[in-house]
Amino acid sequence: MSEFATAITVDARGLACPLPIVRLKKAVDGLTSGEVAELVATDKGAAADVPAWARTAGHDLVESRNEDGIFRFYIRKR
Amino acid sequence: MTNASQIREITPAELLSELEAGKELFILDLRNGDEFAQWKVEGIHGPVETVNIPYFDFLEDEDANIARLPQNREITLICAKGGASEYVAQVLESRGYSARNVKGGMQEWAVLYGAKTVVDAGRFSLLQFNRVAKGCLSYLVASGTEALVVDPGRHVDRYVAAAEAKGLRITGVIDTHVHADHISGGHELAAKLGVPYYIADGDMKGSPLPYTELKDGDQVKVGDTTVKVLALETPGHTPGSASLLVNDGYLLSGDTVFVESVGRPDLGGKAKDWAYDLFETLFAKLEGVKDDVLILPAHYSSSKEVRADGLVAERLGNIRAENEAFHVGDKEQFVDYILNDLPVQPATYDTMRLVNRGEVQADEEKAFELEIGANKCAAKHHGH
Repeated sequence: MSEFATAITVDARGLACPLPIVRLKKAVDGLTSGEVAELVATDKGAAADVPAWARTAGHDLVESRNEDGIFRFYIRKR
Repeated sequence: MTNASQIREITPAELLSELEAGKELFILDLRNGDEFAQWKVEGIHGPVETVNIPYFDFLEDEDANIARLPQNREITLICAKGGASEYVAQVLESRGYSARNVKGGMQEWAVLYGAKTVVDAGRFSLLQFNRVAKGCLSYLVASGTEALVVDPGRHVDRYVAAAEAKGLRITGVIDTHVHADHISGGHELAAKLGVPYYIADGDMKGSPLPYTELKDGDQVKVGDTTVKVLALETPGHTPGSASLLVNDGYLLSGDTVFVESVGRPDLGGKAKDWAYDLFETLFAKLEGVKDDVLILPAHYSSSKEVRADGLVAERLGNIRAENEAFHVGDKEQFVDYILNDLPVQPATYDTMRLVNRGEVQADEEKAFELEIGANKCAAKHHGH
């Protein structure tokens, strides 16, 4: 359970690179500063890239989880 | 936006052909920096112009990153599995750039094996396999209708197919030593075909896997007696390292001697001892091997080690003349030279040795992960 409110959830389960991050970026771009987006993904490669993308884009990766192969990321927009 | 089906694709095998032909390519590698540092597409005859822009960086600032790319040249895109590179290729094409996508990405490049003929003299032939992503070399030694496979990678179907295509029956499999940089297909291939798996005791003793001991002076027959594989115990890289002298003209030297370096002796925690062994091997053991013998190693790390014909091979005489390790001086100076500046040992090497000794199991996914990265088997690594 997340301790913060998510403004939007991107369900990218079953989607392969680059779609998880493409969709996450689109979702975060549409938020206002401080809002949190959640990404749910199963693609391992995309999961590995999310922290690096967040760094590049200047957003905060507030939490990441691996629940038996289902990756959840919470990104707070800068 | 251009339709996905219109993005031109190139397979890893086609890409390798272009590099072998010396085609000048521009590669855009879209993987993250860590992955790029571990292994990437390397030129065969020289460095290949490459820019590494992680695809998510590309997404964040398309304009700035596109400005780093040439507008008048075809850009060959590669990523981890081929998805992100296809996506970015579409973006490039829509902005007037010429782009094509490497199908399957690095995941497919990583398991590509090229094959080149070292010699084809009718009844006797020798084929060199090159797993280009890692710089791992293996061999098919054929005589009559029989063949031996030496230092096979774990994709054993490559060797089975090559033998079938030439109408050969594989009668034995040899590993020159227990490898640390890749998972050997030796045991699997031998078991699959019901033939002996040869390896020296020095590295394999205590292993639960069945093997036929390879000893100094052993002759492994293949086909008619025109091919004698003479096993020379050549310790140094590992205690059980063996070199195979084929037909008195070709020395399959494992990781003892490379075209531009020699095997690193530190992978077993006894660097100094093994460095002394390596000295003895290079200067005493191999002394009797003639200059004209062609050295065929198990690894290479730079395009500088590739001949114009695309083979990784060199006359022992030329190696004696030009390989730095042969000019250092006495035993003590040699040991200092070898131990100084050894490349960092990859974290996976201990585990891979255990896998090769049959003491640890690895499924396909684990095997792929363990094998990530170019080989670091040489004492000195030269850039491209």
